[in-house]
Amino acid sequence: MSAPITQPTPNWLDRMVRDYSAFVVALVAAFVVIFFIGMATAPNFLTLFNLKTIIRDAALVGIMAIGLTFVTLSGNFFLLSLKETAALSIVAFATSMSAGYGFEISFLFTMVIALISGVSQGVLIGLGGNPIVVTLGAAGLLFGLGSFWSDNLVISFRRPHGAEWLGTGSFLGLPNITVAFILIAIAAEMTLRYTTFGRQVYLIGANRAAGKATGHENFGMAIKTCAIASVCAAFVAIAFSAQFSSAHVNYFSSEFGSSGDMTIMVIATVMVGGNSIMGGYGSSLRSSFGAVFISTVDNMMVLHGFNSGPRVLAVGLMIVFSIMVFALVRRGSRSQE
Amino acid sequence: MTPLLKLSSIKRFFGAIYALKGVDFEINTGEIMGLVGENGAGKSTLVKIISGFDNGYTGSFALNGSEVRFANPSRAERSGIAIAQQELSLIPSMSVAENIFISGDSVPAIATRSALARKAAPFLEEVGLEDVDALMAVNRLSVGEQQLVEVARLLAQEPQILILDEPTAALGESDSIRILAMVKRLAERGKSIIYVSHRMDEIFKVCDRITVLRDGESQIPQTASKLNVASLVELMLGRELVNMFPVHGDVTSDQPLLEVRDLWPDGTLEPFNFAVHPGEILGLAGQLGSGSGDALAVIGGAKSSRDGEILYEGDVFLPTSPTEAIARGIAYCSDDRKVDGLFLGRPILENMTSPALKSFSRFGIIDQKKEREQALSNGEKFTVDVSRMDAEAGVLSGGNQQKVALGKWLAINPKVLLVNEPTRGVDVGARAEIYQKLRDLANEGTAVIFASTDIQEVAGLADRVISFYRGMQVGEIVKDQITAASILQQITHPFDDVPQKPEMAE
Repeated sequence: MSAPITQPTPNWLDRMVRDYSAFVVALVAAFVVIFFIGMATAPNFLTLFNLKTIIRDAALVGIMAIGLTFVTLSGNFFLLSLKETAALSIVAFATSMSAGYGFEISFLFTMVIALISGVSQGVLIGLGGNPIVVTLGAAGLLFGLGSFWSDNLVISFRRPHGAEWLGTGSFLGLPNITVAFILIAIAAEMTLRYTTFGRQVYLIGANRAAGKATGHENFGMAIKTCAIASVCAAFVAIAFSAQFSSAHVNYFSSEFGSSGDMTIMVIATVMVGGNSIMGGYGSSLRSSFGAVFISTVDNMMVLHGFNSGPRVLAVGLMIVFSIMVFALVRRGSRSQE
Repeated sequence: MTPLLKLSSIKRFFGAIYALKGVDFEINTGEIMGLVGENGAGKSTLVKIISGFDNGYTGSFALNGSEVRFANPSRAERSGIAIAQQELSLIPSMSVAENIFISGDSVPAIATRSALARKAAPFLEEVGLEDVDALMAVNRLSVGEQQLVEVARLLAQEPQILILDEPTAALGESDSIRILAMVKRLAERGKSIIYVSHRMDEIFKVCDRITVLRDGESQIPQTASKLNVASLVELMLGRELVNMFPVHGDVTSDQPLLEVRDLWPDGTLEPFNFAVHPGEILGLAGQLGSGSGDALAVIGGAKSSRDGEILYEGDVFLPTSPTEAIARGIAYCSDDRKVDGLFLGRPILENMTSPALKSFSRFGIIDQKKEREQALSNGEKFTVDVSRMDAEAGVLSGGNQQKVALGKWLAINPKVLLVNEPTRGVDVGARAEIYQKLRDLANEGTAVIFASTDIQEVAGLADRVISFYRGMQVGEIVKDQITAASILQQITHPFDDVPQKPEMAE
């Protein structure tokens, strides 16, 4: 009864072991294997330029995946409208830039649009709408708006412009978009771990009914997480546009990444990272790692001259494999009592 | 005479942890054998071994005198051992007859619905459901009737031995009586029945002999008529349980803390009116569907009410969400911890602090040290194993899960604690601890209202009892008049001695 209750807070190492269980070990091991295969078979693999390319490719999908992770962890499944949110955002940004409003104004303008889109989807999901139906509907709406607005034409704006630092600039040899990816990854992970909001994400995701019973409503949560995911998508769109000084609604639909579809790539990233599809278990760090993992595999296949068919296949295999490992690991960890 | 089924020195280890460390078990033809023990004593492991779900044991397992080892449950079924588990395996939208022959073994490949119904009739008769239309969808039956259909489904496979695992856990009094009657009837017809239950009164009502498991070991089976509740509990615990229920407190205040006026929860028949005082434990007695639990849910903001209001701290309101109730210091713990009482996949620590994140956070940042202190001290109060704070809540046994589900509410320092079925599926030892803790809270000035279908529990714990019957508030029992008999009378047939009361049924 009167056992002493002086139990120390577990140190960071214990916490790492606890939070990043067997699944992460498996993922890291797979990553190391692939890395060595890459070194052994592709002479260009281990060049600094190529490594930078890998992280750079990972950054765009990764940032979006981090945003989506909040939605998935909170038990609100996936947003199927990410690509379209990005499409509308890139049109908004480029239109504003080409009209001469400057980076700051254009950035804010784009973010406000993304926020409105995210919040409205969140409201519908929070009221009990099925996330798939709601976001599929939103996807059509957003893409249609972007297409209508841009007349389906490429919008370009002249260099030099205020967004170049984001598109092509670098910091300590790292592209700025990579730096942004790292900063966002850290910020997201800290938010999930150390804030009440982050805790609510996990609790509501683990059991929505119990969340409601303890005063954590999914209504607000759906709105916040959808807003985060949409804002992340808009950020990626801005960075993309800044790089090419142009925009088109189809930038995220064709020839993007290995599978040619941004939404699918982002969802794949979240799943390959090992987040529970049902919510409540996972982390944004896992998604970040998933992005680097997919990007590495994809890069290696490019170096070996594979075209897009086999690369899409590889992404598919990674998803299937990771879901299987995830399920096995989770079952293993639960069958103790 | 050799027993029909005989297990001897059964051992089962999970890694380094033993679940069973030497169990002997036997049952004769036509016998009802009770299987009891605290949560974690090994009942479910033993049941799993007998029914073929678990074959990683060592020891001898003889059926009809010959040694067997079942590779999987369907082998056990073919050998005549069937199990009705706590979770029903019926398909709700299909008819009773279709469910009974769902395995398809004993019916022709093509059969009309009415042919199935004809074939189902004898099995329905055997479980006492002869009045039920076999073509009716299962989800239109009561939970108790569904339980009986489940048994009928097993009987269709002609088992010799039937295992019933907590068949009445989710049932009210009248449905339970039907189950018990069925058990007796089946035994008279030569079936052997292993009856697993936490409910002492049932064990004594139906069982011929009782096997007690304690800490992974079996005690010698005893003839039920030679035991009584106290001696059985002693066997289960290995010590005497001096007093299950804590001493009643003194309610010092006449001023009610919370008053319910014309509260009319959805699905009930009449509005409810009652009040609770600080330091009082108020028991709402009633069978399943009586409305007692609904009243609690409405006060806790978890269910809507057609009408009515709550007077509390000089305020008149009706909470529209649990969030609102929590903000006022009203905590509501539902009767199903797995549905909305626990975050099974999250650590115990996070469960313990879930209702009060703000109490250890500043500017939205969690103070992890403070959080852990709070969780440990509240866990300690509810005798939750504090060394396992970082384990997932899902790995705990039922009793410990219930302690977490209840104990988490200490985090908000509740002024009113509403508990629906405080000890459902909880073993005797943990029950006593939960009762004691509720009493401690009351003694500190918290008003506790609990709803329960367990008459002994209401009689033992409550300072005052309000009784409910089929969606109506029917009476109040105070102080010395609180007995199991008086409660039973009110919640089963309250109008027998009040003939002027009009008949409610239409």
